[in-house]
Amino acid sequence: MSIKFRVPIFDVKNLSFSVRGVDILKNISLEIFNGEYIAIIGPNGGGKTTLIRMLLGLEKASSGEIRIFGKKIRKFKEWNKIGFVPQRASLVDTNFPATVEDIVQMGRVAKRSIFSSFSKEDEKFTHDAMVKMDILDLKDKMVGTLSGGQRQRVMIARALASSPEILILDEPNTGVDMVSQQRFYKLLSKLNKEDNITIVFITHDIGVIADDIGRLFTINQQATICNDPKETLSCEDVSALYGMEAHLLHNHKHEH
Amino acid sequence: MFEILEYEFMQRAFIAGIFIAMLASISGTFIVLKRYSLMSETLAHSALVGVAVGLVAGYNPLWVAVIVAVLSAWLIEYLRSAFSLYSDAILSIILSGSLALAVIIVSLGGAFNNSLFSYLFGSILSVTTSDVITIISFGSISLLLLLLFSKELYFITYDEEVAKTSGIRVKLLNFLLVTVVAIIIALSIRVVGSLLIGALMVIPTAAALQFRVGFKPTVLFSLFFAVFSVIFGITLSFYFSIPSGATIVLCVIAVFILSLFLNRK
Repeated sequence: MSIKFRVPIFDVKNLSFSVRGVDILKNISLEIFNGEYIAIIGPNGGGKTTLIRMLLGLEKASSGEIRIFGKKIRKFKEWNKIGFVPQRASLVDTNFPATVEDIVQMGRVAKRSIFSSFSKEDEKFTHDAMVKMDILDLKDKMVGTLSGGQRQRVMIARALASSPEILILDEPNTGVDMVSQQRFYKLLSKLNKEDNITIVFITHDIGVIADDIGRLFTINQQATICNDPKETLSCEDVSALYGMEAHLLHNHKHEH
Repeated sequence: MFEILEYEFMQRAFIAGIFIAMLASISGTFIVLKRYSLMSETLAHSALVGVAVGLVAGYNPLWVAVIVAVLSAWLIEYLRSAFSLYSDAILSIILSGSLALAVIIVSLGGAFNNSLFSYLFGSILSVTTSDVITIISFGSISLLLLLLFSKELYFITYDEEVAKTSGIRVKLLNFLLVTVVAIIIALSIRVVGSLLIGALMVIPTAAALQFRVGFKPTVLFSLFFAVFSVIFGITLSFYFSIPSGATIVLCVIAVFILSLFLNRK
């Protein structure tokens, strides 16, 4: 792996988070660089989601520091560079009055100036994001009528419409069938390789972690960082992490 | 052509009514989708405190109602964020507290009479030219703000946290929304009455949602239902000499029932 001298997208130092004296996260330090493809795993209650919420500015750290593109999180303003797909993406209110296009356009809201409606440029980004996620034919469908897999792609298209440099996904596969999951991992990998979008996602399924993953963070109060998950992450490590038997599936398909 | 429009007070009623219908239905879309429906009832009762103060102290009741409703909206938002209370409990407390306060102010001031009654149930006959001017001036600003920020508000309504992470100033816009809603409710009590304004905010959107269409068509349906109900309600109340606010509410409920049947699963 080449050494990177660039400014990391996220630079986290000694981050801790506790609620009423109970430590959720302790002394987390990590860096996320442009172009990376990172999976975050860990047991329930281990603090994965809390970590992501802190990176997104939704929770305040008890101590430690987060820098985004070199700026302290409190001073960081360019949130449209960061696309977020929340866990409940597949569990939306089915009565909510929104077409697929309505949702994807939300990705442009923060970018436009308040006095204008959506511009030609906004329309282009919305359109391209729908093409990329293969949902253009669903454009006028009500979001509540879609399947879990389709809805998941709509949520990612919304995040892509703001042309982010990094995409953060919290358990994007909740409520999605296996076929859609595989298709989904292919799409993520494509976004990472072809569009150079940095990808960070939380996952539950250790089995589906694809071979494309560059690094693996295991979060259980503290962070363990695997720089080469194919080599370092053994079944014992994962079993220890989860406190149970786990089976990892690797195809060991190395790139040329 | 229409004799009803020959009367000046009816012209005023229609202008004020249609304007209120537009404001209530557009803001109501956000209120309903944010599950804030009970908020409109609460703010209407707070506005009544303003009316009571206005009547007793001799100020324009509509102006004081706007001020008190806005303060009450801010108080609700503050309590919601600063204390661990259920928001419907907060709304209930402020609702009954406001009503109690209004009754006491009015009875102490010796103004418990027909004019308070007209604010409870609305009275088109009592809409004065100065009321129309107040409604149009405050209402235009509210409408402009709603339209300017409609896309942001829609995003926040859909998913507040994702909106926040994409850089939208969620707190500020929520604050703006409740302020605008408070103003609109206070303005509406002249025409529909404080006991009935909640219906004009919530029911047109509830009816529009039955059609299961996207955001813009939902707002337009809601707008159309509200304006139709107000025009039809005022007309009926004129010809049959029945209270305007109550007639408007029954009209909008009729529209709601009709849209339920039209969209049966």
